[in-house]
Amino acid sequence: MVPEERYSVRVKFSKVGSLKFISHLDLSRTMKAAFLRAKLPIWYTMGFNPHPKMVFSLPLSVGTASMCEFMDFMLTEKPDYDEVVRRLNASFPAELRALCAYEPQTRFCDIGWAEYTISIISPEASADMASEIKKLFEGEIKIQKTTKTGTKETDISSLCDIIRCEYENGAINIRAMLSCGENSFVNPKYIVEHILSKYPDLLRGGDYTVCRERVFMSDKKTEFM
Amino acid sequence: MKIPESLLKKVEKPGRYVGGEWGQIIKDKKDVDVRFAFCFPDTYEIGMSNLGIRILYDIMNKKDYIWCERAYAPWTDMEQLMIENDIPLWAVESGDELKAFDIVGFTLQYEMCYTTVLNMLGLAGIPIMQSERTKDDPLIVCGGPCAYNSEPMADFVDIFLIGEGEDEVVELCDLYREYKKTEMTKDELLHRAAKIDGFYVPSLYDVEYNADGTVKSYTPKYDDIQKRVKKRIVKDLDKAPYPENLVMPYIETVQDRIVLEVYRGCIRGCRFCQAGMVYRPVREKSVETLNSEAKTLVENTGYDEITLSSLSISDYTCIDKLTDELLKWTDDKKVSLSLPSLRVNSFTKELMDKISTIRTGGITFAPEAGTQRLRDVINKNIDKDELLRACRVAFSGGKTAVKLYFMQGLPTETDEDLDGIIALARDVIEEFYRTPDRVKRQPQVTISAACFVPKPFTPFQWEGQCGYDELCRRQKYVTMKNTDRKIRYNYHDACTSRIEAVFARGDRRLGKALVEAHRRGMRLDSWEEFFDYEQWLDVFRSVGIDESFYANRTFGEDEILPWDIIDIGVSKEFLLRERHNAYKEKTTPACSEKCSGCGASCIGGKTAWCPKNVTP
Repeated sequence: MVPEERYSVRVKFSKVGSLKFISHLDLSRTMKAAFLRAKLPIWYTMGFNPHPKMVFSLPLSVGTASMCEFMDFMLTEKPDYDEVVRRLNASFPAELRALCAYEPQTRFCDIGWAEYTISIISPEASADMASEIKKLFEGEIKIQKTTKTGTKETDISSLCDIIRCEYENGAINIRAMLSCGENSFVNPKYIVEHILSKYPDLLRGGDYTVCRERVFMSDKKTEFM
Repeated sequence: MKIPESLLKKVEKPGRYVGGEWGQIIKDKKDVDVRFAFCFPDTYEIGMSNLGIRILYDIMNKKDYIWCERAYAPWTDMEQLMIENDIPLWAVESGDELKAFDIVGFTLQYEMCYTTVLNMLGLAGIPIMQSERTKDDPLIVCGGPCAYNSEPMADFVDIFLIGEGEDEVVELCDLYREYKKTEMTKDELLHRAAKIDGFYVPSLYDVEYNADGTVKSYTPKYDDIQKRVKKRIVKDLDKAPYPENLVMPYIETVQDRIVLEVYRGCIRGCRFCQAGMVYRPVREKSVETLNSEAKTLVENTGYDEITLSSLSISDYTCIDKLTDELLKWTDDKKVSLSLPSLRVNSFTKELMDKISTIRTGGITFAPEAGTQRLRDVINKNIDKDELLRACRVAFSGGKTAVKLYFMQGLPTETDEDLDGIIALARDVIEEFYRTPDRVKRQPQVTISAACFVPKPFTPFQWEGQCGYDELCRRQKYVTMKNTDRKIRYNYHDACTSRIEAVFARGDRRLGKALVEAHRRGMRLDSWEEFFDYEQWLDVFRSVGIDESFYANRTFGEDEILPWDIIDIGVSKEFLLRERHNAYKEKTTPACSEKCSGCGASCIGGKTAWCPKNVTP
């Protein structure tokens, strides 16, 4: 059998609005249908039950938006990357957007860090509170981490940098760099929970949003592509 | 999407509530004259699977002056949060509350959804009683199979659309458009509507009852409205609009694939089956139409599965040609084809080899009754040898498990017929061991037994349902008789079937029971976890209704039935003739063999089998 030609493609995409509430599994189903609509010559696995092979970068919690998700797949024809982006966007729901496509030079396991915007919208929010909250993240940061084996207290101070924490228009906006390592993944919800452990009433009559803005290599400086 | 995110973060499957799917239709509300909220009184996953909504959503949204959106019943976690946070029920596309719509339409797919309809109105802040709503409130309309006997819902609904809705929904919106733009009063609107074929306006008919509780008369309030409301059909299915695109759910739904409707109606005439009567006359689509609709939908949706849908798919006159044409391109595109509802006589090796889902999926047949005698009574024209032949094909094709559907509590059923259920299952097991090329594994037969519910517009519409205790005894009887570990016996809950029977043959007086059930917070009765039989009995007691009057009483043949106000084309005389044939254990041939003169051809349309000399 002549080996099939395959070309790896990485697509960077954003996932906002209603898509925030769509789980990873449901996103894959949505992608599969979108690929068929886009009529891209996607490569199918060769097994008994052929299916398009798609690999996603990082897990993203339900409820979290993202401007920087990555997906790898393979095409059986040499890709025109602009055309791939154009066709995907024509087939994606409005709140899912392909941002760019290219040949991947890195591996998803090279990702070390991700930067998030966390906005806490609350009637109680103030500039003073913002600086108090910033102080909560100096020194040890003890959180209750739930894993398969149970809940345990962990110090995440080495896995978390608060870049910015400011009060703007009724909201406390936090920019945080959180670890994404395989064994040191910090879910942004821990940051919110840490704040709520000190300000339990903060979300009463309020809400919060989380958006993953950028991902970085393990040096925290080089943006992952 | 306008639902607060804090709520969405707290509920199970938030994808049910957010909309934003590929294929949803967004319009500017300033650009449309009529806003229609199409509600499915159950969860998103179930509602999104409904073919009727897919068709009507497409038809309405193709009109530039109509914007049709979707709404579903929230699950209880979301419902709780909506009440706590004072958030009214919304439509998925715009996120606008239902109250802001011109028309709120519900499809009534099963009787047990009635409380959910009221609950959705309640959550939307719309008065449930028809008499309490004004021109400022949305117009509440209902359609779907249960609208054929819509009397229990008569107190709540402005207009029922009877029959197939393709033309009706547009006519309704056109009428509404005029109503909205002019000084027309709501009374005038309803009066106008009541003159349109298929539009049933229950508030314009006075009902009187006899001393024994049966219906005495239906009197129209105006002379110029329909005396009986004749159902509407699509005359030529080949020319009927069919969606070219679908709303693609993010979350998995019950029917998450392309549904290709092959034909409407059924040639068989099983005497318990409502669908087989109300969808007559049988009208088919051509292979060319179906093939092109399938291609278009695969292109536009990205679905890779097509299911051929109809009441009995193998009765389609060109089934071989259709599957051949589809398989010419579906395999290449990695699109899989599935066929539900196969009859035993159509189950062949060729079909099994051809259709991958038959190769890989489970095998189900529906003999419905255990003995030939009872199968003749219900006019289920299949015999044991045919069933065993079909099973042998399945076994030699590598299957080891067969599921058999039965109905218990059918008219004239005796213990002998119940023994027949087990005997038939045993015969299937024996057939397995007689199949030389069977696989070397233990066979498994699953008996799934529903309880017979007498339905309006069937030859059994007069039959009382088998009493609750007797139904339970019969279920226990079969359980006891089944000593074979290779046979599994499952049966439906007799309680639900009893309440279903009450509403199926109910009249308007049941409205007060629904009001009371709604007041007590009952809803999602189609879900086992929320259905509460004792509560229902208490509801009936508290409003002075004897549920056995509706469920268990044998209705008189000369009685005026609550649903006689509706004309489905099939005549009452035919149904009565069929009832008498049932008691004579006499079968009636399928439309394809001989016309049985059911009367449906008077509705007209491009029918598949009706004799051509019948003038509509």
